[in-house]
Amino acid sequence: MDALDTLIQPHRVHRSLYTDPDIFVTEMEKVFGGAWVYLAHESQLPEPNDFITARIGLRPLILTRDDDGGLHGLFNRCAHRASTVCQSECGSARRFQCSYHGWTYSNRGELVNVPFAEGYPPDFDLSDHGLAQVPRLGTYRGLIFGTLNVDAPSLADWLGPAGPLIDEFVDRSPSGRIEVRNCQRMVYRGNWKLAWDNAGDGLHPTFAHRSFLVLNERQHGGARSLSQFKASPDDTGMYGADLGNGHMFVDQRPGLQQSFWETQRPVPGREWYADRIVESHGDGAAEVLEMAPGSMINLSIFPNLLIKGNHLETVDPVSVGETRLHTWVAAAEGAPEEVNVLRMRIAEDFPSLGNPDDLEIFERCQEGLAIPEVEWVDMSKGLGHPAEEVAADGVRRAPVTHEGPMRGYLRAWLKLMSADAKLTTARAGETSFEKAA
Amino acid sequence: MDAPAASVLDDRLYQRLVELAAPDGAERGPGRPDLRPAVEQALHHEARLLDERLYRAWLDRFTQDCVYWIPLDPAGDPRTRVSYLLDDRRRMEDRIGLLETGWAHAQEPPSRTCRIVSNVEAWPLGDGDTLARCSTVVWEYRKDRLTPFASRNDYVLATLGENWSVRFKIVRLVDSRSDVRKFSFVL
Ligand code: FES
Ligand SMILES: [Fe+2]
Repeated sequence: MDALDTLIQPHRVHRSLYTDPDIFVTEMEKVFGGAWVYLAHESQLPEPNDFITARIGLRPLILTRDDDGGLHGLFNRCAHRASTVCQSECGSARRFQCSYHGWTYSNRGELVNVPFAEGYPPDFDLSDHGLAQVPRLGTYRGLIFGTLNVDAPSLADWLGPAGPLIDEFVDRSPSGRIEVRNCQRMVYRGNWKLAWDNAGDGLHPTFAHRSFLVLNERQHGGARSLSQFKASPDDTGMYGADLGNGHMFVDQRPGLQQSFWETQRPVPGREWYADRIVESHGDGAAEVLEMAPGSMINLSIFPNLLIKGNHLETVDPVSVGETRLHTWVAAAEGAPEEVNVLRMRIAEDFPSLGNPDDLEIFERCQEGLAIPEVEWVDMSKGLGHPAEEVAADGVRRAPVTHEGPMRGYLRAWLKLMSADAKLTTARAGETSFEKAA
Repeated sequence: MDAPAASVLDDRLYQRLVELAAPDGAERGPGRPDLRPAVEQALHHEARLLDERLYRAWLDRFTQDCVYWIPLDPAGDPRTRVSYLLDDRRRMEDRIGLLETGWAHAQEPPSRTCRIVSNVEAWPLGDGDTLARCSTVVWEYRKDRLTPFASRNDYVLATLGENWSVRFKIVRLVDSRSDVRKFSFVL
């Protein structure tokens, strides 16, 4: 591995970031261990004793709620000889018993029973052999994050200007809370950062999503979903932003010529459900219907959460050349039922009609990156442009087709990769919890 | 092009779909052998239309109130859960229209498919419709890779014989809860 700072230059990035297995191993350790990583949403484990599994980089994890409602990030790794102790994606359990030799843990991670206990050394103490835990957990508006980095900033500081944008996403629900439902799981043969580059990329829709744009114009006409990217996206007021700490933001809202609802491509059930909302809400119906389409923002929380549409999408690396994307759909809590029925159909629309083209292109990029002699990936658009100046709030905002957000996340990546952060685990009762909002 | 017809998907239609999907694995008893030849005629013809990418001819075999559904496991109630896709006729037209734009990168080069339809059983539903269940494996070849998509499918056929037509098609991919490769051809 070359010195890392030679691999990221102001205007370009070295191919090895996408292809080098050693870099991958290091980033799973340092980037995913050193950042605050998104784990799950509170609505996915609402009751005492609920749990859901997650990962921090390649580290398998069980996120649990104890019988008092407290959250724990337990590594899914028996303290005996390392077997995972939980095989379900989610559920409810007070105890996790390892199926190999029967060691049994509470959902706070304490070792509560070791079968055939005679024979262990005299100083063998159950309290030394609980499940290792994520030392720091925190929540922001129901989103649960964790880090192994005791030196990481507070969760609120880590999120910085991304926090108020999470608020905007969540506050589309009348209750001020989202309810995460089920997820679509996809895998592509490419490095995880290809999804990350794409999440801040307002240059690609015009070309990569041409099929979707042409389809909508032919079948439905007018200013439909994504049509703001049809020509000259930079003249629409849409912008991209580097929010610091690797977080990126693309705001499509200034590009809309009509309401969210009028812009939304027609989905199954549109007419019947809209009629019901008009019947029940009269003059207020337009406002209710605005809750159904996606948020028209792309808010990417480094290193593994892409908030877009009505989705919380996790970027889950498998290997240097393989990545999973889990796209969780959020319902608007407190909204009329019809809104959330429409949200389910809208949540299938772009993901099944548009995203296959993104994933195809990620795989094409990974193919192209295989050439050792052609070393560099260009990310220079907008570099030195006056709009790239950092504003008073620490945010760089620039026209939507600029590549500033990508350069921003790579700065954060380099910082985490170069740092000698103290990554550690904690024992039961020794973890800290921050409620950032 | 004419404006596409409005969606007819309403709560009643959803309810019918949920009831149809609910007894997944429930014992209906063996299918009616006398229905099988006509059902197989329809399913085999459908498989060939799709393998030959005759998508418009395929779409013509669906009723105006049709639903084409690929649930994520467990299927549950699609009113409260997202699916891989749940299309009415209008969105089926969109899906085909997308491929016809010539810009669908995920189908450049296009997939070549060969589907095997087997274990066909059929029961009358009482209202003139016929329920058919089968096991299907779609072998997709694209870019030097051969990928199987295994599913158990449910059909509600509105008509049998020469003018066979489909009211509901449900594709239950066996691996829909794991990480699947995005597919962009019609399953
Ligand atoms: S590995 Fe878990 S009890 Fe032995
Ligand atoms: Fe895209």
